[in-house]
Amino acid sequence: MSGCLLFVGTSGYSYTEWAAAGFYPQGTPSARMLSLYAKRFSVTELNYTWYQMPRADAVERQRSRVHPGFLFAVKLTRTLTHEIDPKNWKNDAASYRDGIAPLLQAGQLAAVLIQLPPSFARTPGNRKYLAALTAELEGLPLAVEFRHRSWADPNVFGELEKRRICLVSVDAPDLPELFPPLDVITSADLFYIRFHGRNARGWRSGKMHLQFDYSYSDDELKDWIEKRVAPMTEKARRGILFFNNHVRAQAPENAERLIRLLKEHGLSPNVA
Amino acid sequence: MRERFIIHFNVADFAAAVERVVTPRLRERPLVIASEGTPRAVVYDMSEDAYRNGVRKKMPLRQALGRCPGAAVLSPNPNRYKRAMEAFLEHALPYSPRIEVTDTRGHLFLDVTGTGRLFGPPPDVAWRIRKQVRAAMGLDPIWSVAPNKLTAKVATRMVKPAGEYIIGAGEEDAFLAPLPLHLLPGIEPGDLKRFSDFNLTVVQEASPLSKDHLAVLFGPRGTAIHDALRGIDPSPVHPFTQAPPAAAADHVFGEDTNTRAFLETALFQLMEQVGRDLRKQGLAAGRIRVTLGYSDGIQATRHAPVSPASANELHLFPAAAALFERLWTRRVRVRRLAVTCDQLTYPPPVQQDLFTFGPNMPKEVSRDRLIPVMDAVRNRFGKEALRFGRMLAA
Repeated sequence: MSGCLLFVGTSGYSYTEWAAAGFYPQGTPSARMLSLYAKRFSVTELNYTWYQMPRADAVERQRSRVHPGFLFAVKLTRTLTHEIDPKNWKNDAASYRDGIAPLLQAGQLAAVLIQLPPSFARTPGNRKYLAALTAELEGLPLAVEFRHRSWADPNVFGELEKRRICLVSVDAPDLPELFPPLDVITSADLFYIRFHGRNARGWRSGKMHLQFDYSYSDDELKDWIEKRVAPMTEKARRGILFFNNHVRAQAPENAERLIRLLKEHGLSPNVA
Repeated sequence: MRERFIIHFNVADFAAAVERVVTPRLRERPLVIASEGTPRAVVYDMSEDAYRNGVRKKMPLRQALGRCPGAAVLSPNPNRYKRAMEAFLEHALPYSPRIEVTDTRGHLFLDVTGTGRLFGPPPDVAWRIRKQVRAAMGLDPIWSVAPNKLTAKVATRMVKPAGEYIIGAGEEDAFLAPLPLHLLPGIEPGDLKRFSDFNLTVVQEASPLSKDHLAVLFGPRGTAIHDALRGIDPSPVHPFTQAPPAAAADHVFGEDTNTRAFLETALFQLMEQVGRDLRKQGLAAGRIRVTLGYSDGIQATRHAPVSPASANELHLFPAAAALFERLWTRRVRVRRLAVTCDQLTYPPPVQQDLFTFGPNMPKEVSRDRLIPVMDAVRNRFGKEALRFGRMLAA
């Protein structure tokens, strides 16, 4: 059995529709959701930080709502990934560091997720920017998710490995332009998997409520465990796995099912 | 009460932003919007760079140009801003049936409570609308998501001139605590002076005061201030298609005036008109708003609660007159007076006294009885059949 610690959770936890779908009790105020979530999962991905620069006071308040063993992966703000201001991005990187400092200090920061847009192809300019960005965020546990297929290249993996940056593995619809599902490990510290769902029509619509409307079958999850997760646990010390198919609370249902299937497979994920 | 998700959009320096979209070369230097060529012209709006040079809204144009000598000056074009506002609204329309257009200066409220399954999380809706407005109109609205209108509005003020702010339910008081009191909507310059007399300048210094304490300082407005300090605001987002019920009247003077007697007479006349309107509807007003338009284009508005709610001009007039006294602070002549009564309710029940007849009848009781009698006489013999003495004096 490997010594890899596995954590399973969802991308975001604050969805009012999850109460209607039965994951939270009816009428749960959003301020109570994280503490309820932390009773069932041991990790979450903070997505709001993509929309808004994290602020240390708000992050500390969130941290105080969970037990000390609970981990956070925090998405990098859009002004550093999707709407880059060439003049100001370094200041934004510094603000981001300040914002997530409470998690780093408490040892509860599992990863910083650098999710790059589909338009971010492997061009000389983008390569240079990514190198500068990761240098600016050095010292943080970085994980990069590419959405453009051009980055699926051994040279890229080699560069990530040199910098001990984790390459995020994704499960997404099988569309020709998307980054393929891989089990490449570029950092012995961490592997990171995101399950986006396989709703190809929804993905093309660009609408979140259609894009992430999908529920994985047991067979699909077992396939991931056997072909990718199990081998990855042999090569990294920690693995975090997130479900992003949040529509109608399919994400937490799938995550709980994955935990059960991992156990059946002899892997023992950390549970709350 | 169900948790709400309110989005507020605020296009900073809306008029200047619209002008710069229409004429991109105006981006090259600071921009001041003011009616050039009129004596005593004042600043209507300005760009961020002009603001940084010390230009402020309502500042005399001459002073503004002294602070920002290189600024371009452009006359306001209200129709252009109105059209831009309509175009802005169109981008928000698909996301909620509850959209409130508070003015034509780039402010919109959207209530997106319960739309998550259709459109995704509220911050994503706000971000998408902003993206569309930016791409289609060249404007860059600031946005916030908060549990109510008050905190959403403060949040967009916090990140001016660009940015976003998300406030979760339960975080309202923590968010407001370190802010200066002047950022709170509803706190007026006189209130700030009152607070500052007690050495209170930020929200967390004032928020420990109880409703009773605040009532001593601010009278009937104490409760509203108490709630504002805690980020409590149950007011709904009024759909722009449906104006909140109100009774209103306004008067434009044939010749601009600053003669007190004329102004007071006009105000009383307006109150009579509004009172009649309210009584016809069988409603009473919980709030009164007075607007004063000066001849140089500057407008000033104030409102105050009416407690208990009333439809009687003899009760409403003192409240309107008190507001008018606080508004009428300039020597410039007045062109327009307007009165709006809103927060309409059914008239509160009045406990009748058994011993109120005869010469000992209290004044307020006789006032209550006088108006229905006057209405009856006027309905039969015409509006001019009975008039108050004060209307004859002017």
